[in-house]
Amino acid sequence: MTPAGSLLTADGLRKTYGPTTALDDAEFSIHPGEIVAVMGPSGSGKSTLLHCLAGIVRPDAGEITYNGQLLTGMSDTALSALRRSEFGFVFQFGQLVPELTCLENVALPLRLNGTKRKDAERTALTWMERLEVDDVRDKRPGQASGGQGQRVAVARALVTNPRVLFADEPTGALDSLNGERVMELLTDAARSTHAAVVLVTHETRVAAYSDREIVVRDGKSRDMERLV
Amino acid sequence: MSTTRTKPAAPPAGTARDAGPTGARAWLRDLAMGIRFAVGGGREGWVRTVLTAVGVGLGVALLLGAASVPDLIANRDARATARHPADTMAAKKIDRSDSTLLIVNAGTDFRDSEIGGRSVRADGDHPVLPPGVRELPKGGEMVVSPALRDLMNSSEGKLLKQRFDGYRIIGTIGDAGLMSPKELYYYTGSDTLTKAQGAHRIKAFGYSDPAEPLDPLLVVLVVLICVVLLTPVLIFIGTAVRFGGERRDQRLAALRLVGADRRAVRRIAAGEALFGALLGLALGAVFFLGVRQLVGVVDIWKVSAFPSDMVPLPGLAALIMVAVPVSSVLVTLVSLRAVAIEPLGVVRSTTARKRRLWWRLLLPVAGLLILLNQDQVSRGGDENVQVYTIATGATLTLVGLATLLPWLVEFAVARLRGGPVPWQLATRRLQLSSGTAARAVSGITVAVAGAVALQMLFASMHDDFNTTTDQNPRRAQLYVTSPEASGALAQRMIDDFRDTKGVRGVIGRVSSYVVKPGKIKNADDMRPTTELSVGTCATLRELARVGSCEDGDTFVVHSGDRDQDEWVDQVARPGKPVDLNSESWGDYTGTPRGEHAPWTLPKSTRTITSRPDPVGDEYTGIFVTPGAIDVRKLSDASTQALVQIDPKLPDAEEYVRNSATHIDPLIRVNTIRMIERDKQYASVQKGLQAGAIATMMLIAASMLVSTLEQLRERKRLLAALTAFGTRRSSMAWSVLWQTAVPVVLGMGLAVSGGLALGVVMCRMVEKSVTDWLVFLPLCAAGAALVAAVTLLSLPALWRMMRPEGLRTE
Repeated sequence: MTPAGSLLTADGLRKTYGPTTALDDAEFSIHPGEIVAVMGPSGSGKSTLLHCLAGIVRPDAGEITYNGQLLTGMSDTALSALRRSEFGFVFQFGQLVPELTCLENVALPLRLNGTKRKDAERTALTWMERLEVDDVRDKRPGQASGGQGQRVAVARALVTNPRVLFADEPTGALDSLNGERVMELLTDAARSTHAAVVLVTHETRVAAYSDREIVVRDGKSRDMERLV
Repeated sequence: MSTTRTKPAAPPAGTARDAGPTGARAWLRDLAMGIRFAVGGGREGWVRTVLTAVGVGLGVALLLGAASVPDLIANRDARATARHPADTMAAKKIDRSDSTLLIVNAGTDFRDSEIGGRSVRADGDHPVLPPGVRELPKGGEMVVSPALRDLMNSSEGKLLKQRFDGYRIIGTIGDAGLMSPKELYYYTGSDTLTKAQGAHRIKAFGYSDPAEPLDPLLVVLVVLICVVLLTPVLIFIGTAVRFGGERRDQRLAALRLVGADRRAVRRIAAGEALFGALLGLALGAVFFLGVRQLVGVVDIWKVSAFPSDMVPLPGLAALIMVAVPVSSVLVTLVSLRAVAIEPLGVVRSTTARKRRLWWRLLLPVAGLLILLNQDQVSRGGDENVQVYTIATGATLTLVGLATLLPWLVEFAVARLRGGPVPWQLATRRLQLSSGTAARAVSGITVAVAGAVALQMLFASMHDDFNTTTDQNPRRAQLYVTSPEASGALAQRMIDDFRDTKGVRGVIGRVSSYVVKPGKIKNADDMRPTTELSVGTCATLRELARVGSCEDGDTFVVHSGDRDQDEWVDQVARPGKPVDLNSESWGDYTGTPRGEHAPWTLPKSTRTITSRPDPVGDEYTGIFVTPGAIDVRKLSDASTQALVQIDPKLPDAEEYVRNSATHIDPLIRVNTIRMIERDKQYASVQKGLQAGAIATMMLIAASMLVSTLEQLRERKRLLAALTAFGTRRSSMAWSVLWQTAVPVVLGMGLAVSGGLALGVVMCRMVEKSVTDWLVFLPLCAAGAALVAAVTLLSLPALWRMMRPEGLRTE
């Protein structure tokens, strides 16, 4: 059953990769502006849950509803459009285009939506300033530090003012100091724009930034009902 | 208390302090380790190794094919010599014996194919046999090549079969008697063949024609073709051993972390490349064996060969076997000079260090200077063509273009700004690693530059090797000649052709030589002789400006040349006799050698002027309509017929050939053409076309592998781009631009380099450039190649863009 006022919900999700069951009757819901941490050990299915919720991977069974629309029935083109305009993403690795400058990387989602280059880069720069990485605007990702790169990725995820931000182990490759700074900036920015955040992590330290925790184990999700 | 200080013991041999092997041993150890990494590198390592091996294998197969060409030509020549009748030109008369036979050429044509053939008649019971033939055909029998048998038995060859319906096939010609497995060839038996029909008596096969040396101009062309076709192959092999280099470098960084020095990791990388190259050699041999079998089954532009003919020259094969692995090691070492593999990752210094232009210009300039300093070569000249110098000059020029390209790409893409997202993604990618892109298109650059130069050379030589024949195919399309000296046969030819399907008209002419009878005053003088042509008024109108004409009319025909006309008038005197048997006045004293055949030229004979016939020949002498003479009296006559056929009937020409063979198998039917192509020139052009196809396929494969490799290395990034909603079309355009930008730059360089090389080559052969726009179709081919590579890489792109790429577990 869909919890009242939820922005994004999932019910009875199943997903298998060959003989491996990644999700088995998983459930999920998130409200606008809410930060939900999805926790669990490696291989438990938490990333698969994020991919399904974001419309990146189609579940084998179950329903996902976003803002009253059924995601599971949408075409690939419609899902792509939704991801461009309504969702933002931060991953652990391999997300920034190495040949573009950091500023161009941040501006990329806007440009894909048809915004003119100068306008896109102006908005992108505002977000980079907000995430304290405007000093690497003309550098390529390879020339920035890990923490800076991840903050650039957060800026890119937020530049379109998404309603849901999906973050998959956003601090997985960072030291604790950098990780905490990234999380502070990410959650502050998300709260200021009233964006919901689906935060996949296996670190309790990172999960502490969330409003609520969901634990995924053997493909099944369980709400920890913890409110900060 | 006393203390005793002792020296610390030296570390035992083989501990960590040991510096390890040096020199050759270090090389061997590191190369072996690289090979072990390639073998045991898991799926990733094997994919890289297989890509390299397939690339090198394709190149090696092509090189082995090229190394087989000399032997292939030699074997074909040897078989052609072996089946050629011996002694046909011998001064000494060959006496008839049990083993001798009479033989004459009896080849024909069928549609676009030339069919070789000979008619034979054994003198005794044990005639010598041509190679590949077990039994000499008797009258009404024939032996055929397997390809001809198959053609005659197919629905396509139904008409051809009718041509030989008077013959029973008693066997097929073995490989020893054929130039290639697809050759159409036959021997027909005859009971009536005589020397009078042009046959020769022989007692053996195996006549070696004094080899016609290749024209110096064609030598230059062949050298350039070899360079143009093989240089991209060498470049391709150089590219193939660098496939997957970026991933490998990251792996090698891990080795630096555990203590390998810079030189060691380069050698290890070289070892990996060496394994790929060795595997490529083996694959190349397998590909070559496959192609070898294929050349016997398929023919491209009528070029086919027996698989056993394709044997690489041992020296060249050995060179390939040594040069390919050695160059794989060298290429890897050189390519890693610009890469610093550090313990914490890979730093490419290529972007930091700008490419220098000056040394890159040295190679093409040196190449062009070598060619400019060459002696000029002319057609039919006896110059000793400096094959190796020309090859060196052309190779330096073309390889120089390949070395210029990375500088040009870097220079040009650094200036590209703005544009839509796909364009930006592509140009930024190129700015980051322009070397990879330049390498991918260096093959096509060299190939197009070479092709531009070759086309210019071909165009400038065109007039030398394609002569205008003065023939007029609009007036008649076929020219038929019979060696048989018989007026009756002539009449039959005209009648039978007229009744043949698809024939609209026949201009038949029976011709003979007639002489002025009687003694000659001066023994040193020649007996006045002129040609007598018999034909209908319609026929004679094709040969002279006849005016009014009725059957029974006669004419004296002048050419307008005073001396020639006076000579004609000595025989052709209206009201006076001529002798129709010119042989009967064999010597000057008038002693008869045969029966005289006197005939009086009517007094009413008019004098008219000749005009060229459709074949371009002009006839003078006496023209006679059939009502004025009995052609059977012309014992020494030959017959020519010009046949007009219906162009709308597809096989009209073949119906005429069938009729001709039924009249007499030795009648020759020739097609009237405005242009006659030199056979050697035509075969060089054929070879170029076949080689160009193979090279272009190789280049396309190289570009495709390179594009796929880049996509594979960006799998995770592509998946991430998909995750945040990037359209497929945006990525497809990005791939297209990424391929197209370097190709456009490469084409520009190829066109300018090719034109420069073409001008120099034309100067060398003393020709002026006749066509400056030869590069247009080649550029179109390059564009088609880019489109094809992009299209073929799209399925892989779609696959890489699947979100599954984000999975790590």
